[in-house]
Formats: sequence, structure tokens, C-alpha cells
Amino acid sequence: MTLLRVYLRGLREGRFILGYTLLLSLTLFILAPFLMITLRSVGKGWFGRLWLPPQLTLDWYRWAVEVGNIPEVMKNTLIIGAIAVILSTVIGIFAGWAFGRRHLPGKEVLMAVILLPRMIPPITYALGVAKIFYTLELVDTHLGVALAHVSVCAPYAILVLSATFEGLDERVLEAAGVCGANTLKRFFYVVLPLIMPGILASMLFSFTHSYNEFTLTLLTYGPHTVTLPIRTYLAVGDGYWEITSAMAVIMVVPSLLILAIIQRRAKPEKLVGGFKGV
Amino acid sequence: MADAMIEFRGVTKRYANLTANDRLSLTIERGELMTLLGPSGCGKTTALRCLTGYIHPDEGRIFLDGKDVTDVPTHQRELGMVFQNFALFPHMTVRDNVAFPLMIRNLPKPERERTVADALRLVRLEGYATHYPRQLSGGQQQRVGLARALVYHPKVLLLDEPLSNLDAKLREEMRFEIKEVVTRLGITAMYVTHDQGEALALSDRVAIMNRGQLEQLGTPEEIYESPRSRFVAEFIGLSNFLEGFVQAVQGAEMVVMARGLQVSTPALPAVGPGQKVLLFLRPNEAEILLGEVPAGRNVFEARVEKATYLGDSMDYRLILGDGADLRVQTDAAHRYAAGESVRVLLPRVRSWAVTD
Repeated sequence: MTLLRVYLRGLREGRFILGYTLLLSLTLFILAPFLMITLRSVGKGWFGRLWLPPQLTLDWYRWAVEVGNIPEVMKNTLIIGAIAVILSTVIGIFAGWAFGRRHLPGKEVLMAVILLPRMIPPITYALGVAKIFYTLELVDTHLGVALAHVSVCAPYAILVLSATFEGLDERVLEAAGVCGANTLKRFFYVVLPLIMPGILASMLFSFTHSYNEFTLTLLTYGPHTVTLPIRTYLAVGDGYWEITSAMAVIMVVPSLLILAIIQRRAKPEKLVGGFKGV
Repeated sequence: MADAMIEFRGVTKRYANLTANDRLSLTIERGELMTLLGPSGCGKTTALRCLTGYIHPDEGRIFLDGKDVTDVPTHQRELGMVFQNFALFPHMTVRDNVAFPLMIRNLPKPERERTVADALRLVRLEGYATHYPRQLSGGQQQRVGLARALVYHPKVLLLDEPLSNLDAKLREEMRFEIKEVVTRLGITAMYVTHDQGEALALSDRVAIMNRGQLEQLGTPEEIYESPRSRFVAEFIGLSNFLEGFVQAVQGAEMVVMARGLQVSTPALPAVGPGQKVLLFLRPNEAEILLGEVPAGRNVFEARVEKATYLGDSMDYRLILGDGADLRVQTDAAHRYAAGESVRVLLPRVRSWAVTD
């Protein structure tokens, strides 16, 4: 509502009208599809040119859960997400440490290669992944799909944790050493608490990417590893728009929760930067 | 006080294109506060880091309390260290920061708490135990650093430019506080700084370093009064330099001709007439004479080129002889203006032979 008030005041004072109008239009443009599927998922007998559904119902959600097998699909999605998060974060910690703390020769080139899966069209990359996974019999396993996801999650984890390690004050580690802490104690008492914000951020980013991933899943999933995006896509193919919409809404809820966590609990720049000495 | 606590024996550390420490040999006695003083890049920090074990020297050995620690890892060397940027653990409270070395050593909790309280009292931070470092001022953070370094009674205390990140006034205060704490505990301390004021005020002895080597080692008085080289004289305090040739040697005195001035100065061993020498005196060692004074030993006619009022003193630039520049600082009781003619007495001029 604040936005609206600012807009109205802008109108009154005759300033920034063009800017605000564009901004509001863009917001509507972004929100319209969400609005559409939400209405779809609770509307009954909504045909033709009516502006709003004539009747509200939760039937489509029941159908989605029962016929669409959403609990099973949700379980797959979460298992795959968890594996992808753990693998990406472990990779991120080691690679981030190397990128952030060490003077690596050819650091830029390595970083470019790591970012490659994100830069090229996903389908090209997914094709290669699928080919390899068929050979290794990793297709239609939770580990296989999660591994495919790691190729896009890990770059984010590495980026975030590189920045975290860069922000780590070398002298603080030196101080811990002089105080008598050996490498292991230095890691657990000093390094780990200081990079914790980075680890949490990396886990959050990794989970979001795994949860949203479509292309890579499409080429590696099977009957036992259907994820939410895939299930929703398949429902579209079946032609049940109302059920698809209900699935979409179910799928959006965790994403919104994560977004809310990021917005409220943590400043993104703080997550990435970690603590600084002074 | 004849036993060595810290000993560098021919320590050499080379980097790709420079030698940070070049056969450095230095002994710090038990209970002594020694300052390593020098411009940045002189090797003082490298020496310190060789002592902490953060850097391994290419050659030479380091002894700590009579034991060769060259290959002992940092965490087993029993050191206490205060850092320039404080290097406190940002995620721990003041109490946990100070307790860290005790926790690492598995000291039982009641004893740990008592020791931490003592250490905090020592640096006058009793009321701040539950604060986080970021909630403290720079001076308070550095006092936490000092408490953390001293809490487990290390063999030696190392201070790496501990006052450089503080503002000028606080720096002076902390200087005395550190000196007092170190004296009270009687701990051996090595203090690294580029600030000559700190070095003179704090140290039992000062080691001046230049290009990885020891330039001069002595008490603050020795270093200030009798610098052994132009480098030391320039680095410590203000200096006037004048190049000249020895005219005559008469017993313990010699006369040097420099820029049209005949300056008398104590004779140097093995320096005869015709030899080039460099004369040196401090700006506060010259006197401007009042009234009509007969010419005498080292009394010269001079013209005031520039006079600057400094509050408690006056700073003059004098021109004498055939254009020699001399900086003189006197008390502000009697002032001279630019353009005035004065007579200046140089009671104490030292010199070094110049070989080139």
C-alpha cells in the first residue's frame, strides 16, 4: 500500500508520473501469472469471458494430492534437493577456500569453467549429462538427478563461499594459532563460526536452484524420481489446467517461504560477506 | 639479566626478488622490552613472523628460552601476540576472546573464569565481559587484545604495531598503559613499530632495521644521542646534515670546512686532513645567541630565512656560511623574525667519515 501512497502523492505533486506508472505496470505484469494460476486453482465452472470464477472450491488441490501423487513427488523433490545442497555446499567450502584464500594460478579461467553450466543454454549441457548418466546407470536415481542439479547449484555455492572466505581476516586465524590452537581447533572454533553465514546462504541458494530446476531433471528423471516441476509439466500435457494450477500453487509456497526468510532474517550482502573483524 | 629469552641466529628469509631478513642476529634478554624499529619493508615484520612460526626462515635458527623452536609449529610456541588490526574473534564476547587461549589449553572452568577476570581487571575492562568486539572502541579492542595475549602467561609478548590503528591521543595513552603492564608483569616483550616516538618511549633497547639487517642496537639514549649512521639519524628525530672536508686535526678535535664554515668537532679515528666527512646535529642542539657576542668556537653569523611558531617552541630555518641550510628549534621565549641577522652557536656537532 505504501507504493500506492507514494504513487498517489507523486501524482498529486506532478512528479515522476511516468516512472511510477511504468513501475506499477511492470509489477502487475510480473504478478499477473501468479494471480491467474491462483484463481484457476480455486475456481469452479470458470469458462468463457467471466472476470472472476463463479464458484470457489478446494477440489483441485485434493485431486492434485490424490491423483497427481504430490506427497510422493514432494518427497522426491526434497530428497534430491537435500543431496544437491549437501554436495554443493561441501564442494563450495573446499573450492571457496581455494579461491578465496589462496593465490591460485589461472584462478579466472577455473572460475569461468565452473560458471560455464550456468552460462550456456541448459538443454545443451543437460544432453551431455544425460548421455553420461545413461552409461553410468545414474538415470532415475535420486543421486543421479541430484548430481545433475549440483552442476548448477555448486557454482552458486562456490561464488558465495569464495566471497565469504575472502572476507575472512587472515590475522584472526594467525591470532588463533598464536593463542595455541592447532589447525583442527582453528577450523572448528574460529573458521567455521565465521563462515557459517556463507554456508547458510550457499545452502539456501543451492536448494532454491535444485527445487526450481527443470531442464536437467527432464533429461535425467524416471518414474521413481519425478519432481514437482516435472509433475506439473506432465499435468499440463494431460490437459487438466485446474489441477496443474493447484500444483503450481503448492510448488510456489516453499519458494515464497524461502524468499520471506531471505528478506526478513538476513541481509543478502551480510550472508555473502560474512563477518569482518572491525 | 644475562640470559637470552629470544635469539635470532643468522636468520635469512628470501622472497622472489628481495631478501626480507639478511643474516639477522639479535638477542633479547629475559624481562627486556625490545623494539624492532624501521621503515616499512625493512624486515621487522618478517622477523616477527619467523618468531611466531608463521614464516619459516630459509637459513638460521630461532631460539626461545634456550630451545630451538625453528621447526616448532606456531601453536606450540607459547607466545602472546597483539595485532595491529586487533584480530579479535568477532563472533565471541570479550570474555570468550580472553578465555580462548585457556579453553584451548583445557583449563578447568572455575580457574578459567578467575584468570579471565584477572586479565580483564589488568586492562581495566571488567565491565565489558559480555560485549562483542564490534561494540567497543579501538582502544578498548586493543586492550582486549592485550588481555588475550597475556592471559595464559606466555613466555614472551609480541606486539605488532599495536597502536597504529588508533588516533593520536589514544596512541599516547595506550603507549604508557602497555609499558606499565609489561613492566608490572616483568614479561619479555618484542615490539615492532615504524613509529620512533613509541620506540623511544617504550623500549629498554631499540633495534633499528634497514634492508633486512640490523642497523644499530642500543638503548633509546644511545640511538638518539649517537646514531651510528645517517640512516639512523634520519629515522630517529630531526637532523641537520652538512658535508665537508677535514682541514686539520688537533688532538681530540678536528676542524672541518663545510660550506664556508669552520666547524670544530671531535676527531674521528683514522680520519686525517682532506677526508670527506658528514657533520650532523639535532635542531634542538643549536643555540641562537642574544645580543653582541664575540666570535668563538662554532659561533656563526646567520640570517633567519623562515620562522615558524609551534606553540611551545620556535622552528627556524637559518642560512649560514655560503648558503648552508640549518634547522634550529628553540624555546619561544625570545623570537626572531624572518630576515633578521643572528649568531648561532653549535655546541655539539658529531660527524661520520664518508667513503665513496
